[in-house]
Amino acid sequence: MENAGYVTLTRQSGLMKELRVVANNIANQSTTGFRQEGVIFSEYVKGVEGADSLSMAYGNVRHTSPLQGTLNMTGSPFDFAIEGEGYFLIETPAGQRLSRNGAFTPNQNGELVTYDGYRVLDSGAAPIFVPPNADISVASDGTVSTDGRPIGQVGVVLPIDPLKMQREDGVMFISEAGFEPLDTPRMRQGFLEQSNVNALGQIARMIEVQRAYEMGQKFLDSEDERIRNVIRSVTK
Amino acid sequence: MKALKIAATGMSAQQMRVEVIAQNMSNMSTTGYNTRRAEFADLHYEQLARAGAISAQDGTMLPTGVQMGLGVRPSAVSVHLQQGSLSATQSDLDVAIDGKGYLEITLPSGQPAYTRDGSLKRSADGLIVTNDGYPVVPDIVIPADARSITINGDGEVYAYFEANVAAQLLGQFTLASFTNAKGLEAIGSNLFLETEASGPSLVSTPGQDGAGTLRQGYLEDSSVDPVQEITELIEAQRGYELNSKVITAADQMLGATVQVR
Repeated sequence: MENAGYVTLTRQSGLMKELRVVANNIANQSTTGFRQEGVIFSEYVKGVEGADSLSMAYGNVRHTSPLQGTLNMTGSPFDFAIEGEGYFLIETPAGQRLSRNGAFTPNQNGELVTYDGYRVLDSGAAPIFVPPNADISVASDGTVSTDGRPIGQVGVVLPIDPLKMQREDGVMFISEAGFEPLDTPRMRQGFLEQSNVNALGQIARMIEVQRAYEMGQKFLDSEDERIRNVIRSVTK
Repeated sequence: MKALKIAATGMSAQQMRVEVIAQNMSNMSTTGYNTRRAEFADLHYEQLARAGAISAQDGTMLPTGVQMGLGVRPSAVSVHLQQGSLSATQSDLDVAIDGKGYLEITLPSGQPAYTRDGSLKRSADGLIVTNDGYPVVPDIVIPADARSITINGDGEVYAYFEANVAAQLLGQFTLASFTNAKGLEAIGSNLFLETEASGPSLVSTPGQDGAGTLRQGYLEDSSVDPVQEITELIEAQRGYELNSKVITAADQMLGATVQVR
């Protein structure tokens, strides 16, 4: 069987996938609250009848970097950043979502919403109302107050199983295993968390991927040459 | 080869960021201008393997699955509402708004528009108008023989005459404010229109309801911070280059594929 070619193929398609992930990370290096992701490859062993088993590469695990992104001072009273762990709770038509993107604004009804128009929920999963013309201040535990009077608390939650989080567009995550409130959130008003993409590391990884891919193609090339020689000498 | 297209979304995002910075920089001296900021969000994800999918007959589940992102999209260009510093101009019809409100004016079409640019003038018949000649709401007419004009913090306009010691009240400015002022539609010339997202205008008297007070003889400077813009510009330029490097790498990988026969 033509196994050497197939084994290389699994590696090559895995590298293509990884380049996509690197491209996505670099494309999102200015996305507020974006979390860098990576692919983890594992060995996939396939038994072959009458021969040794085959070991192939299989990229099946997605890793989301939990590192804190840089906090960028914007000075806007409706920009929030979470320091340390935790996620904002966002209400979308499809259900509740988690997000690290704290760029909010009041909408026409005075509810605090994201730039995509989804409502930000408080610790009791209710929307937060901001009175017009009010100067709001947010304490580090997420308590929103105006004129010294608390008007709500921005909810910060932790996913119960971070590995079961699915990504969704708009820098949001779906936590399929559910989530629980974080007891001691640390929030900063007037700051936004930048994407935690490490551009230098991603470029280095991209070069590695590219070179590994070229190596694989070289291997396929010489494998092609080898089979050609075999056919030539056998049919002579 | 999706990496090419993903990197292209990244390049166009950085390009848009540079355009927003260029807009901010060119309005560094525009009265009442507020900094804009481009906001991005990730595009949707392709599900190659769902987390929780059964991977073996004994019920083993994939712990995380494989989701492949498809790049980045602009989510908003938000106005960073911020009080600009006030600079003294000595002109008696220059008013700066110290607060969150807007002056309401009437466009030639009769539609109301809102502005924070208080460099007001008087028209040929004494009406208080903006630089573009649009009348301020409510109409205030300054008599031709008025010696000087005083506008107080509450927006009351007084005129002094040669013959009379006491000032005469000509009218009072109002200020409009919005539940979501970021939702206003900018139409150029420092003017904004009300939209469904901004909510209806809430008209109030200056000094009341938190809409702000007026300062005669001052204008509000642009709130653009050049240092911040330059930092952003460097980031955007390098981001653009990094994305173009990804395109090169993807291209070379495609080239390597094509070479194999």
